[in-house]
Amino acid sequence: MTIETTTPSSTGRPSPKPRSVALTAMWPASVGLGVRNVRNIRRLPSAFLPSLLMPIIQAVAFSGTFFAITMIPGFPTDRSINWFLPLGVLMGCGFAGIGVGFTTVRDIESGFYDRLRMTPVPRLALIMGPTLGALARALVVTTTVFLVGLIIGARLTDGVLGLVTLYIAGFGVAALGTFWGLALAYRFRDMRGAAIMQLTFFLALFLTDAQTPLSVMEGWLHAVARVNPFTNILRLARQGFLGDVTWDNTWGGLVAIAAISSLTLWFAVASLNRLRD
Amino acid sequence: MTATFAPTTSTELQPSLPAQTWQMSKRAIIALARQPALIVPSLVFPLFFLALGSSSFARAINIPGFPEVDSYLDFGVAGAIMQGVLFGSVTGATALATDIENGFFDRLIASPVARPSIIVGRLAGAMAFGAAQTAFFLVILLPFGMNLEGGVIGGLVLVVSGTLIALAVGALMSVMALRTGSSEAVQGAFPLLFILLFFSSAFFPRETMSGIYKDLAGYNPVSYIIEGMRDLVIEGLSAWAVVRAVLIPAALSVFTVWLAMRSLNKRIARG
Repeated sequence: MTIETTTPSSTGRPSPKPRSVALTAMWPASVGLGVRNVRNIRRLPSAFLPSLLMPIIQAVAFSGTFFAITMIPGFPTDRSINWFLPLGVLMGCGFAGIGVGFTTVRDIESGFYDRLRMTPVPRLALIMGPTLGALARALVVTTTVFLVGLIIGARLTDGVLGLVTLYIAGFGVAALGTFWGLALAYRFRDMRGAAIMQLTFFLALFLTDAQTPLSVMEGWLHAVARVNPFTNILRLARQGFLGDVTWDNTWGGLVAIAAISSLTLWFAVASLNRLRD
Repeated sequence: MTATFAPTTSTELQPSLPAQTWQMSKRAIIALARQPALIVPSLVFPLFFLALGSSSFARAINIPGFPEVDSYLDFGVAGAIMQGVLFGSVTGATALATDIENGFFDRLIASPVARPSIIVGRLAGAMAFGAAQTAFFLVILLPFGMNLEGGVIGGLVLVVSGTLIALAVGALMSVMALRTGSSEAVQGAFPLLFILLFFSSAFFPRETMSGIYKDLAGYNPVSYIIEGMRDLVIEGLSAWAVVRAVLIPAALSVFTVWLAMRSLNKRIARG
């Protein structure tokens, strides 16, 4: 029998650590939940469309309204859309992630989440599944905003590498947005959490060099933006539109994404474990 | 024993139209005051954006085409007021849509209340909030260095302007509430207001824009209202500033209130 050939007595090798059913099901369960999340785009487009349309409107409106900021001495580009397109992408990707938090609140309120927790799905899959869905949404958002940006005049300054860093930053923000959204959904269990998800993300993204570079801004915002890790993520996203892609402009963003994602993931897992019947 | 109840005529007990409207207005204002979570964002976010702009665009005031101002704060006040009033006006219309959703509106229609007071009451609530928002922004920003060249009278004109903008936009949003009967649909108008605001001279002067953006801002009435309000702040009181800050929203109000009344009659006729 096959099972006998794998036992320690027959092979003489050390006994392999038994794999739990839950551990085996981790990946398929995550993919299943991710697919459900993506299908919700078709079932409930009104929940996804704002996260797609708002970054487009924002990138177009900001680049038009603030067209003249490129005339400020020291501004790193002569195309305002090059400056605002990555901001729009990160905004859209963040809200794609936070949208998962909204969906989870709805699932908790409708009782679907209780039924989900009663199934033998591993706990981590409840977080990783929606994260996969959010990454798929972020892919759509980043690609769409980039294409619209190209039409209205955005140009990559270091070829495809600049696009790669834009996608990395977008996926990173989508992931940390998902973890944050899920953690608050588990804590609050109702739509009160939704307002906090949006507000905190909005503050984190705008208390940076979102509108003008650090070298141009003055006053209190300069002090805040300099230490806000989201400034590094924006730098990572923007570098391919402002000049060459360099390691100096890359590592800070990667570290910020890794650190914030780790913290928010830990917060999400701890909040999920606290979720009681 | 037979008891007979003499029917009272409705005209004996029915309050006058102004009294009904006042009661409906009071209800709208109290409802707003009881839900700070609904009104705080439209007070805080414009100030937050203005604070961001004052820091981010401090050097932008030297760009050719910018009017002569001491700081971006002075330039941005009018945009902040417009932003706050635009977004605040959605709140009243959302409440009207919620009334329709939960059946309160139907009960109002079934009662002998005068039809105009339903809309006028709501709009009076929106106007009171618009006036309070404008006064709040001015009072908060003065200690932060805002220089109001128009003085006290200029400030009062700004409050009147904020009130009329709230009326015009509140009536427009009420049309949406009456036609759809859905609070979600009214909230969905947010991107429309965002576009109205950002494709105007709310944050940067039209003179610094180019191409299609400049054209769109030129066609957008919001630009002219904001420029009138801005002149009251950075240049002082003038007839031309008052005309743009007050008469344009007043004219828009006449049109949007007419639209709202028409939508109300259509909804009642539909049953």
